[in-house]
Amino acid sequence: MAMNLEVTEVMGRENRLGSISGYCGSLRDLSCKARCGGVKGRERCFSQDSLCNAACAQGTLSLIMDAAIVNHGPVGCAVDAIGSNFVLRTMQRLSGAPEHNIRFLSTNLRESDTVFGASEKLKETIRETWRRYEPAAIFVCSSCASAVIGEDIRAVVSDLKGEIPVPISPVSCEGFKSKVWASGFDAAFHAILTDIVKPPAKKTNVVNFINFFGSAKKEIAELFARFGVEPYFLTAGSSIEGLSRLSESIATVSICGTLGTYLGTGLEQKYGVPYVQSMRPHGIAGYEDWLRQLGSAIGKAAEVEAYIAEERPKIEDELQRLRSRLKGLRAVIGMGPGYSFNFIRVLGELGIEVVWTSAWHFDPRYDSGANVPELEFLAGGGAEDIPFTVSDQQNFEVMNVLNTLKPDIYFSRHPGTTVWALKLGYASLCVNDEYTAFGYKGIVNFGTMILDSITNRSFAELFAKRSRLPYTEWWFQQDHAHFLAEEAGSRAAASEPAAAAIGAAHE
Amino acid sequence: MSAITEAPRGNCALGGANAVFSAIDRVVPIYHAGPGCCMQTTAGEAGQAGGRSPFYVSGVSTPCTNMLEHDVVFGGVDRLRETISGALEIFEADAFFVLEGCTSGIIADDVKSVTDEFSAKGLPVYPVDCPGFLGESYRGYEIAFASLLDHVVQSAPREGDLVNLFGIMPYHDPFWEGNFEELIRILEKLGLRVNSFFTRRQGIAAIRDSSAAALNIVVSPWLLKDAAAKYEERFGVPSLRWSGLPIGATDTSAFVRAVADRLGLKDRAERVIAEEEAYVYGYLETAIGALSWKRFAVVADSNTAIGVTRFLANDYSFTPIVTIVTDPIFRPEDKERITRQLTELEHAKPPAVVFETDGWKIARELDSHSEITLLVGSTNDREYAMEKGIQCSVVAYPITDRLVFNRTYAGYRGSLTLVEDLYDNL
Repeated sequence: MAMNLEVTEVMGRENRLGSISGYCGSLRDLSCKARCGGVKGRERCFSQDSLCNAACAQGTLSLIMDAAIVNHGPVGCAVDAIGSNFVLRTMQRLSGAPEHNIRFLSTNLRESDTVFGASEKLKETIRETWRRYEPAAIFVCSSCASAVIGEDIRAVVSDLKGEIPVPISPVSCEGFKSKVWASGFDAAFHAILTDIVKPPAKKTNVVNFINFFGSAKKEIAELFARFGVEPYFLTAGSSIEGLSRLSESIATVSICGTLGTYLGTGLEQKYGVPYVQSMRPHGIAGYEDWLRQLGSAIGKAAEVEAYIAEERPKIEDELQRLRSRLKGLRAVIGMGPGYSFNFIRVLGELGIEVVWTSAWHFDPRYDSGANVPELEFLAGGGAEDIPFTVSDQQNFEVMNVLNTLKPDIYFSRHPGTTVWALKLGYASLCVNDEYTAFGYKGIVNFGTMILDSITNRSFAELFAKRSRLPYTEWWFQQDHAHFLAEEAGSRAAASEPAAAAIGAAHE
Repeated sequence: MSAITEAPRGNCALGGANAVFSAIDRVVPIYHAGPGCCMQTTAGEAGQAGGRSPFYVSGVSTPCTNMLEHDVVFGGVDRLRETISGALEIFEADAFFVLEGCTSGIIADDVKSVTDEFSAKGLPVYPVDCPGFLGESYRGYEIAFASLLDHVVQSAPREGDLVNLFGIMPYHDPFWEGNFEELIRILEKLGLRVNSFFTRRQGIAAIRDSSAAALNIVVSPWLLKDAAAKYEERFGVPSLRWSGLPIGATDTSAFVRAVADRLGLKDRAERVIAEEEAYVYGYLETAIGALSWKRFAVVADSNTAIGVTRFLANDYSFTPIVTIVTDPIFRPEDKERITRQLTELEHAKPPAVVFETDGWKIARELDSHSEITLLVGSTNDREYAMEKGIQCSVVAYPITDRLVFNRTYAGYRGSLTLVEDLYDNL
């Protein structure tokens, strides 16, 4: 199914991909429903804090080295600039580039602006951004406040086009637009695809590499050199000039299916750059599938086979040793959907039993129309069936499940939830680095890290004895899906399949 | 028209209010706001002020209506009602404060009528009107105090040895706990009992009975003017405003004398001062000459800017060149009070005093003072110090490159830590 790239703004994932943020059942059931188009999201009648797509959009765009961001909103919507600044400067330091602060301005909307409008102020802020930094591009992000009062960012941007000689790109990422915060990645990549990427002048041997922070850049450059191609990492550390040439590349890969779907598919559709839609390169099966599919996209299938034959045996002994020590451990996972599926598989390869997984949302298919390959693999026999829920990081549900299942370890990708698992006394590992368990060496390092975290659990144990949890006893006695309604607004009783699945996992 | 702001040194009003409520033990903030507001504001205050995450309920554990398009169109009060009911079921807490974000503020959801339904049943659920567009973090801090006064504080019989210590904003001041702890330590040596509301897990009971205090001490040159007036008017609690964080022997002893004066504790104060000054100078004399003299600039919130400038100039013989106050001060009389504190120095030629919140303009201001050899500021200001090759000490919000638990630069002991940290940063 073709994407509609001619739209001025990209729809949220609920409407575009049928993504959901409420589900309770099992891995196989989810896969089965996704395949036959029957995944219906369930609403919660009580929820804890989620996240908005602006954070993902701004986080993606603000790490382009020579661009600037304008947020059209109250000053609080630009406060993620402080955190991004830390990431940006760390990246500059590591790459030896000159360190400079992030270029991120806020229109600082106030009460009177919400009444009288603030288009002039936005215009002035964009002009001021240009005067101060002459950035290679300016991304203008919306907020709930500017969107509710109906600010026409596009009109302002088009007024300024003759005046400012670099791309000015509107990004529709107001928080209320989507419950799925990953929609913000799509908004950012839509801006890049529409306003930055140019038609190819030539073809290169570059592979576009969509990732988050890029900790494994050096290792990947070395790996790719064996196959005669070069990676171009984005967006962190990229430049507007580099992004403008994404259309010339030989292929696109993404470290995360959730992250890369829009840009990868868009580049394929618009410019014929093949998007490698394998499992992600975490653990052995994922790494080899990724390498093989990349190899076939760039015409290096034989070289890839030679590499696999040479490298894989090197870790066999170490992996066996780790498996024997990790065998029998029971784990709970709470991550974004891309990483959830990949890490169920990776933990399986290490001999660890995953007893429950929560994904922060679920895309039944990607922009290309393809099913999620990792889920297909797991449901097709790559893993035992396991209880699976979809929740937008609902901490109280995770706490309830941890308390019921009492796993040996909890894996997250967001430190906020790790803290809470520690408070309950569980060993927790936050998979912050997107290249955790990347390839052969990565899975050995990851296994070692897990072994370390469960060997010395002093912090969690000492901490749990002294920490006070805000949750009531009542809540810990409920089914974790207690607040998950069949339809919005009605409070359903505990869902029976969920209770059964959890019960089975507990026995 | 409010100013365009680059590299904001604060959050929105919602963020400021949340910083207050999430710092009170056994209190649950409930967001009636967009899905990203809570993460942004929690990271924006606690997270970016020394890498913290508030302790009882915060961030991912905060109940939130996560308002979407449907709520924008049809209103979000039903969703809010459900969210409050759920929060009452799953949390152990002494009070629940419903914090309004921009979306519900603009579409004008009647939050109070919903919280009234709960309070009518005797449940401690209160509304806080703090949409982000009302202002910066400090505005939220003031709104939160107004809300505590409206809903929690009750009259109580006067207790002559009890004081309330206000003006140090939780989380937004990255050193708030340490600053409270040091000032409380000193006040307790005077024989006083101290309410901070936020430290030592004081919580709702301390706030309820805070009207019993003999004195409100407001350590800030501009904050809580209305709250102080309300305490006086409703409960007869007078205030002492102390403009700037007291750092070092000179200012801290003056602070102790001012408090003692108001409460009739003069003799005891002199004993405390003698003991504490001996303690400070006992250390200083063991490291004389450890730091060469510096010509310094300060870029910080008003409390820190005043405290650091005065200590380094008055007590430590450094030369102040320029002090840039990053708070959004809007009342002319507050600007005057701050300028006075920064320029009436006993021992040094006063620095230039500038009020500016925009990151780029701050850098241009620093450019106009070529002789600076030490920059005391925030993580944002490292860029400038690196470019110019001058020493930089990070002591003010935002701080993303240090972890801060109970470190303080306040009072007697804090001044020693400040000197230690300057040495660490050579």
